[in-house]
Amino acid sequence: MNEIEEYLAAAAGQPEVQVGEDITIRVDLAMAHDVTAPLALTAFAEIGIDRVFDKRKVAFVADHVYPAPTVQARQGQRQMRNFANTYGIKMFEGEGVCHQVVAENYSLPRGSVVVGADSHTCTAGAYGALAIGVGSTEFAAAMATGTLDIEVPPVYEVVLDGILVPGVYAKDIILHLIGAFGTAGFTDKAVIFTGEWVRTASLEERMTISNMTIEMGAMLSYFSIKNDVGSVAKVHKFDVSMIVPLMAAPSSPANVQPVANLAGQTVTQVIIGSCTNGRINDMREAAAVFSHASINPNVNCIILPASQLVAQAMEDEGLTKIFRRAGATIANAGCGPCFGGHLGLAASDDVVISTTNRNFPGRMGSKESRVYLASPRTAAEAAVAGKIVTPGTVAELGGRTDE
Amino acid sequence: MNKNMIFKGRIWLFDDAVDTDQILPGYAMAYPQDELKKYAMAGSAMPDFSQKVQVGDIIVAGNNFGCGSSREQAPVSLKSAGVSLIIAPTFARIFRRNAINIGLAVMQADLTTLVKTGDIITVDLKSGSVELPDGNVVSGHVPGENILAILAAGGLINKVRQQLTKQEV
Repeated sequence: MNEIEEYLAAAAGQPEVQVGEDITIRVDLAMAHDVTAPLALTAFAEIGIDRVFDKRKVAFVADHVYPAPTVQARQGQRQMRNFANTYGIKMFEGEGVCHQVVAENYSLPRGSVVVGADSHTCTAGAYGALAIGVGSTEFAAAMATGTLDIEVPPVYEVVLDGILVPGVYAKDIILHLIGAFGTAGFTDKAVIFTGEWVRTASLEERMTISNMTIEMGAMLSYFSIKNDVGSVAKVHKFDVSMIVPLMAAPSSPANVQPVANLAGQTVTQVIIGSCTNGRINDMREAAAVFSHASINPNVNCIILPASQLVAQAMEDEGLTKIFRRAGATIANAGCGPCFGGHLGLAASDDVVISTTNRNFPGRMGSKESRVYLASPRTAAEAAVAGKIVTPGTVAELGGRTDE
Repeated sequence: MNKNMIFKGRIWLFDDAVDTDQILPGYAMAYPQDELKKYAMAGSAMPDFSQKVQVGDIIVAGNNFGCGSSREQAPVSLKSAGVSLIIAPTFARIFRRNAINIGLAVMQADLTTLVKTGDIITVDLKSGSVELPDGNVVSGHVPGENILAILAAGGLINKVRQQLTKQEV
């Protein structure tokens, strides 16, 4: 068995598992947010049970529509709060995007099973959790039973060796992989990340990559710290030092092209942040650009910290001031416009550079709007230039906020 | 859900990679559950789908149907608009599970080059056979027993309720 299969077997309470086998695994944390939980509460009521499996292992997060842009949205949050109070569940409101909130508030040892009613639940694979995205009904079932039924996926190993060149970031690595494997490359499969680069990567970098493995259809993403993860279906090797700054052009995360090929494209809105790239290092990268130059008057730039802790760190390090001086708007920690919810939707003629994870047609607003996905550095430089430029054009690479 | 798992219905044909933002746009996610049907496919190439679709209709689509978000509102909107079955060569995992969990049948088969919008087909989910308008029969992938069991129970919630009742006895 490989590392993922060993953990799945342990979670299923059996000596071993086979690929394709239907197993029932124990759940260590079940998490839902303010657009998936309300449906789940209806489903939970239909089950007709008067308790959750373990109140310490269920978490609600209001992040997608917080602060509520509509009465309906707020109604959903009130429903969650009432349920949370009744059943003794922890609910986080406005503290950040669920995946970041989980990382900051729960200690989840390697092999823990996280069931999240959000497709980007796979983010937690960055720190060794087996994190599976589900829908509202499956979440309700997990909340009632403390278990999840899954089919044991085939495991693929992605080896990331080498060192990134300046101007290239974890975001470029995952865009490179999505471009290589496509949006269905790992559907119903698990991906295990290993290699020299992985062993030296920060937690933040690993979270950026793990977050977007769902964009290749993956059921599970897992970052190993071992040299030998055991027998896998196939091994794919990459030398990250060969990767150049990349973007996913409209309208698929797999439509990946070098930034250099897209240079010159006019930009009207820039979003920096989210659960993909809204952590403090991402903010430092953006601030390194904005400390040198102001945002182009034709560009709306919105900063979207992944959590309140990130927002506080931005404040403490003086980044907030740099962003405001440069002309950016700092939104509250949460999902904001990433999924077309609120706080910066795109018009039909908007061209958006976003550090988020999806650019499907209409994802961030109008169906005609065009969204390019990029690293915080690439996005920040586009905000200043008012057009797509290769990293290093607006400010020298390698420097940090210099004051 | 009919017990025999036989579906006869009119086809709506869609392309490859119909993602969840096309099926049910983000702005509609927090809308009341009984209004979701009005937004079925609102972000797709056929934004007026919800006005055209009739009860029992079948969606035939290309690869990777339902890729993207885990929003269960996507299959809920299709089911409540009247869609009885979705057929595609491949589905995104979370969408496929969500559909099954709410009792909306899905089958893996590539019919995109064999049918057009408006055609009537008959599908026997248990045997995976599809009878085309010209009388020819093609085969799709037969769902696993556990999937058929969830569909037969009318969705995952009914199955879980049965499980929990058994445990208490």
